[in-house]
Amino acid sequence: MKEEKLFAENSPISSNRRWGMVIDLDRCTGCQACVVACHAENNVPVVGEAEAAYGRWMHWIHIERYWEGEYPNIKARFMPVLCQQCDEAPCEPVCPVFATYHTDEGLNAQIYNRCIGTRYCGSACPYKVRTFNWFDPEFPEPLKEQLNPNVTVRTRGIMEKCTFCIQRIRQVEEGAKMADRVLEDGEIQPACAQSCPPGAIVFGNLEDEDSLASKLASSRRSFRLLDELGTGPAVIYLKGGETNV
Amino acid sequence: MSIDLSRREFLKLATLSVASTAGACVPINSRTKDILEPQVLPPEDILPGDTTYYASTCRQCPAGCGIIVGTINGRAKKIEGNPAYPINRGKLCARGQAGLQDLYHPDRLRNAVKQSGGRGSRKFEALYWEDAIALLIQKLAGIDPVRVAFLGGKMPDHLYFLSSRWLEAMGAPPLVRFNLQSTLDGRITASKAAQSLFGSRQLPIYDIANAEVIFSFGANFLDTWQSPVAYSQQFGEFRQGQAGGRGFFVQFEPRLSSTAASADEWVPLRPGTDGLVALALGRIIVEKGLGHVGAFSQEEADLFRDVHVGELAEASQVQVEKLEQLALILASADRSLVIPGGYPAGQKNGFASYKAIQGLNLILRRIGQRGGVYLSQPSPIDTLPGAPAMDSFMEIMALIERMNSGEVEVLLIHGANPVYELPSAAGFVEAVNRVPFVVSFSSIVDETAVQSDLILPDHSYLETWGYQVASPGGDRPSVSSQQPVVQPLYDTRSTGNLILVLAEEQGGEVAEVLPWANELLFLEDASGGLFLSSLSPYNVKTAGDFWSAWRQYGGWWTRRELYQEPDVTGFFDQPLKAIEPSFEGESEEYPYHLYPYSGVALGDGSCAHLPWLQELPDPMTTACWQTWVEINPQTAHSIGVKDNEIVKVISPYGEITAVVVVYPGIRPDVIAVPFGQGHTDSGHYAANRGANPMQLLAAVSDEDSGELAWGATRVRVEPTGETHELARLESLEGEGRETIR
Amino acid sequence: MSEAIPLAGKGPAPEKSRTDSLPASLSNEYQDRLLLEAMKDWEINQAVLEPMSRTGPWFWVIVAVLAAIVAWGLYAWGYQIYWGFGVAGINRPVYWGFYIATFIFWVGISHAGTMISAVLRIFKVDWRRPITRGAEAMTAFALMMAGLFPLIHLGRVWKFYWMIPYPNNRFMWPNFQSPLMWDMIAIFTYLIGSSLYLYLAMIPDMAMARDNTVRWRYKLYRLMALGWRGTEAEWHKLHRALNIFSIIIIPVFLSVHSIVSWDFAVTLQPRWHSTIFAPYFVIGAIYSGLAALAAILVLVRWGMKLQNFLRMEHFNALGKVVMVAGLGWLYFWFAGLIVEWYGNEPVVMELLHEEFIGSLAPLFYLQMTCNVLPIFFLMFKKVRTTPVLLLTFAIMINIGMFIERVLIVIGDLQRNYLPFNWGTYRPTWVEISIVAMTFAGFSLLYILFSRIFPYVPVWEIKEGRLRYTLRRIGRLLIPTAAEIE
Repeated sequence: MKEEKLFAENSPISSNRRWGMVIDLDRCTGCQACVVACHAENNVPVVGEAEAAYGRWMHWIHIERYWEGEYPNIKARFMPVLCQQCDEAPCEPVCPVFATYHTDEGLNAQIYNRCIGTRYCGSACPYKVRTFNWFDPEFPEPLKEQLNPNVTVRTRGIMEKCTFCIQRIRQVEEGAKMADRVLEDGEIQPACAQSCPPGAIVFGNLEDEDSLASKLASSRRSFRLLDELGTGPAVIYLKGGETNV
Repeated sequence: MSIDLSRREFLKLATLSVASTAGACVPINSRTKDILEPQVLPPEDILPGDTTYYASTCRQCPAGCGIIVGTINGRAKKIEGNPAYPINRGKLCARGQAGLQDLYHPDRLRNAVKQSGGRGSRKFEALYWEDAIALLIQKLAGIDPVRVAFLGGKMPDHLYFLSSRWLEAMGAPPLVRFNLQSTLDGRITASKAAQSLFGSRQLPIYDIANAEVIFSFGANFLDTWQSPVAYSQQFGEFRQGQAGGRGFFVQFEPRLSSTAASADEWVPLRPGTDGLVALALGRIIVEKGLGHVGAFSQEEADLFRDVHVGELAEASQVQVEKLEQLALILASADRSLVIPGGYPAGQKNGFASYKAIQGLNLILRRIGQRGGVYLSQPSPIDTLPGAPAMDSFMEIMALIERMNSGEVEVLLIHGANPVYELPSAAGFVEAVNRVPFVVSFSSIVDETAVQSDLILPDHSYLETWGYQVASPGGDRPSVSSQQPVVQPLYDTRSTGNLILVLAEEQGGEVAEVLPWANELLFLEDASGGLFLSSLSPYNVKTAGDFWSAWRQYGGWWTRRELYQEPDVTGFFDQPLKAIEPSFEGESEEYPYHLYPYSGVALGDGSCAHLPWLQELPDPMTTACWQTWVEINPQTAHSIGVKDNEIVKVISPYGEITAVVVVYPGIRPDVIAVPFGQGHTDSGHYAANRGANPMQLLAAVSDEDSGELAWGATRVRVEPTGETHELARLESLEGEGRETIR
Repeated sequence: MSEAIPLAGKGPAPEKSRTDSLPASLSNEYQDRLLLEAMKDWEINQAVLEPMSRTGPWFWVIVAVLAAIVAWGLYAWGYQIYWGFGVAGINRPVYWGFYIATFIFWVGISHAGTMISAVLRIFKVDWRRPITRGAEAMTAFALMMAGLFPLIHLGRVWKFYWMIPYPNNRFMWPNFQSPLMWDMIAIFTYLIGSSLYLYLAMIPDMAMARDNTVRWRYKLYRLMALGWRGTEAEWHKLHRALNIFSIIIIPVFLSVHSIVSWDFAVTLQPRWHSTIFAPYFVIGAIYSGLAALAAILVLVRWGMKLQNFLRMEHFNALGKVVMVAGLGWLYFWFAGLIVEWYGNEPVVMELLHEEFIGSLAPLFYLQMTCNVLPIFFLMFKKVRTTPVLLLTFAIMINIGMFIERVLIVIGDLQRNYLPFNWGTYRPTWVEISIVAMTFAGFSLLYILFSRIFPYVPVWEIKEGRLRYTLRRIGRLLIPTAAEIE
């Protein structure tokens, strides 16, 4: 086999994809199902009370709750915030060792075993969605058995963040490639989208105009978090409290 | 190399294996669990490194969602919703997904134990199962069967069936069951009210997905109420899935729960006045003839004849104009829906409130209608009976009375944790001390297990068999199956099997009515009746194939939607009554209503041992790992407390300490405390953390339903001057703002 | 324990000093302006070499204390490596804390040495002569301390070499887009440059020391003198090298602190994302560095009794430069602030609010007091030429500048665009120990340096003396200065 051939086969699956996520805030009920789904899928450790109180919790997706108004005319709104997988990600250029970089599918990949823990990406991220392994994670026996073998367990001193469940994306992509078929919309489901009871989270290819995610993203309710910073997030929120009509 | 399969294909693959191997699961036990590849020659359904899914039933709360559990190399790795199961349709809540940690909890009991140092000593001595069973049989043989009591809780339906039959055959009093979550859901009141109004004890179900306007009275159907996953999913449709546009949702509740936060309007209702408001709304609709032509009959209108809107408005502190406005919204919609929730049921006027609220559905003609109220379908077949609603608090008090008077010599406890889940004022701990021999089937040493002599740990629900009739049901009759997804980790034993073994040992009539050698044979036998049903979704030729399909798809349900429409004749016995709420504790001494609630993370506390849930932030306060008390800013100011300060919450029955969360979404005369913490045992993640609001509650109940009036206690709050940094997601400095603009 | 430096001999035979015959008035002027004492060359040699052996009990006590602090800090570092970074007080969103603040501080300190030495050398300012070596040594040691922090603050320090661009079979290169890479390159360049600069200027003195000592000192100095004999060609090359270094090191030192500032300024973090950061950091560095130099000189003068060489005129001149740098710093600070304040961007206003009246206010006002007050006091010659006062204000300035860095790194990170994610920060004993370790380490290195190497550049002083002669024109004695560099 020629070398070029080898490289071509191993190169990222295709670049006509831009994975994106649409989160309908009108459906989101703040139920936290996505949070546990993410913990289970991605071997995200728990840190304990004292650490969590000191801002060292490690949820890759967390639900921010905002208050509006005052009692009795008060409202609370929920916003699930995860890595926004920015097009122009502030975290990427600052990493001195390329532990965080941009994939051909538009994801901000994080390579755990390359990370040396400068935490620069964490400082640079305006969404503060990157979490750091302050200590080695603890999984007392036999809790280790729950760990997903498709996802690395991170050691101390490493940054981590939402990957859009890259292991699931790859699994489906490679499966489709082996079966020589085209990926269908909705075939890939990150753990959060899969679990979301009210169906607020939709994952899909934003480059494909026919994907459900693309269609939802073109809603007039759509907005992106801190869009004015020019980071170009791939997570698109749909404003709550109103219809598409 | 990996072969990728869609989920459906996975399920098929799983079936093949289930059909071909009796165990249907992969060996993993204490000896082999350290081996990376446990099988040199893996079972044929296992492709090393690939995920195999097994369909089963979630047992984390009484809702009983269908789950599929992904296993890799014989270890359970991920719990997901069963996409085929009509209740939750592939979705699953936080607690359901955390079930893995119940299986792999480090503090699980690994064998049968005897508490050798006496009750409460926490000194346990391992027993061989033969010895443990012999001990139990000896204890049972020595006494009159009427002196045996079996306290159940969150148990699978087959265990309910087996244990009930066992008790009956022995001549022992029937099973008594208590589950805190069911109580907080108002299931008992709902069931009794359904019996009274609709002539059926099945729980009503609410077609939220197709409703246009929803008025919910304390029903936290997006948090933990009854079947939160099913209702959350429907809520998504209600919000954005309907062709006609976005539904309108009003939540009546003294505290802004995350359900209320998802509502379009939140009415901070005075505790216990849900029924009064419902009556007032009904009266306004009737009086003004609101709604559509011929919406209600004179007979129905007469139900509201004794109602005076002004008085009710005053009692409930909702202005008449507001009530009129709400009534107009409710009556003008084509498909409006009123839901009575758990909090009104947890009052001393709960039953009356419940009827009044359902009365609104009646005059709006929403009963048995699309986007309205239906009844859960009962089990499709007699051999697979669904367990009825739990027993009411009054019946629990009766059991405690029996125990206190020394009428109980052997107490068996399965799936319940009464020491933790009952109000301390009910005196269960004192009562249990009068019982000479207590057996717990808990798989972890919980508060009740500490008060027992013998612990015969059951499997985790992911290691064992069972079935559950969906209650509340979905859009069709459905029974979910439960099967082991991994081999039992430890030397634990299924309580179902244990009862069959006991029955066999006991012999005679008991052995006759329980002829099955193990629960698996019973289940195969019992579910087989569905094989020939014309409504069956499976195209199977033999009973064996049906048994495979039953396990492969995770149960049985009809091919098409099938609703049970309630009969409404029960309404017209007498006009609806307004009963003013009453509370325990004088308002001068105890100025605040205590609103204990079950949050999405820890629920009623039975999941508190799971670290994922301990660290799961509450959606509203974003706090975790602790018990906190939510206080209105105005109230906090008047008491002189701030965030992160520790206060004493004192009721006439007890006191707890908790950390203050100044919470803008709560009535000034109400303070809210979440359930879930305050365990003294239940594994090291839960033990000695936070406080249990059950220590505050009065042991009172609604006279009509017998339900524990868990919302009817008043408290006072005293600062202690100490502080504790509450672990929360949110920065306090941010003051809850979204972005600073 | 006092260890006398064994001298090779008495030195050359006493000769008549050129200033002996001067009138008293002129002699004073010489002393004040031209650093000329009524000392002979060999006396100067002795005066520099002798304090190096003056190690009384207090010296060893100080060395022991400093060494103990360093050892404790190393233990703390080991503890942090072993248990994980969580033992430090850093959290989310304050991902950078005390370490980075101290890092900037040391980089800042390192600035003044080179700046004073190179800039003054280029401008041929004569009063620089006795203090250049002290300043250059400060640069080198401060930079060494600064260079520790990029390692200390790594989550996985054992993988630090991944930042080094070395060829490897995985084709893995560091990311040259990252300001941390720029940082590393700049710091290494600066460290190498300033160390060479320090060393080059030390060669003739090594030779001098070699000729005047025995035993291990002799061996050391002989090695380091590189066979210096003092020929015309050697002097010529030395001067040329020093001139080239002086010019090259200036852009390097400007770049170092600019790059350090870009670590912050290139992110989107409010208040960090600012174009004025680079000059602001540079001027701040010069301000704190010069103040540190002044403080060190006062201490060394006292400790080593170098009153003959480090004199009021140095403090006077240094004080003026510090004051000017302080004014410059104040100007840049204000220029940044006015734009931020006028811009009225909400997050920035939140941060300003936090500094002016919020939780950071005590630190902020302490910082401003420490930074601004000395500027006014240093206007007075009396203050500048009173070592105790100068020392006090110099230390104040450094406290102020340290707090300023803490406010920039930690204060600003506590707030960001999403108020939900704001945070607080509490340093732990590990961080404090490691930060203390670098202060102790710096002092230790500096003290040892001053006892091992001639602290005062003897050849430069002698060279300075050569420039000045008295010419008799008619009956007048005219002081004249020659171009010799």
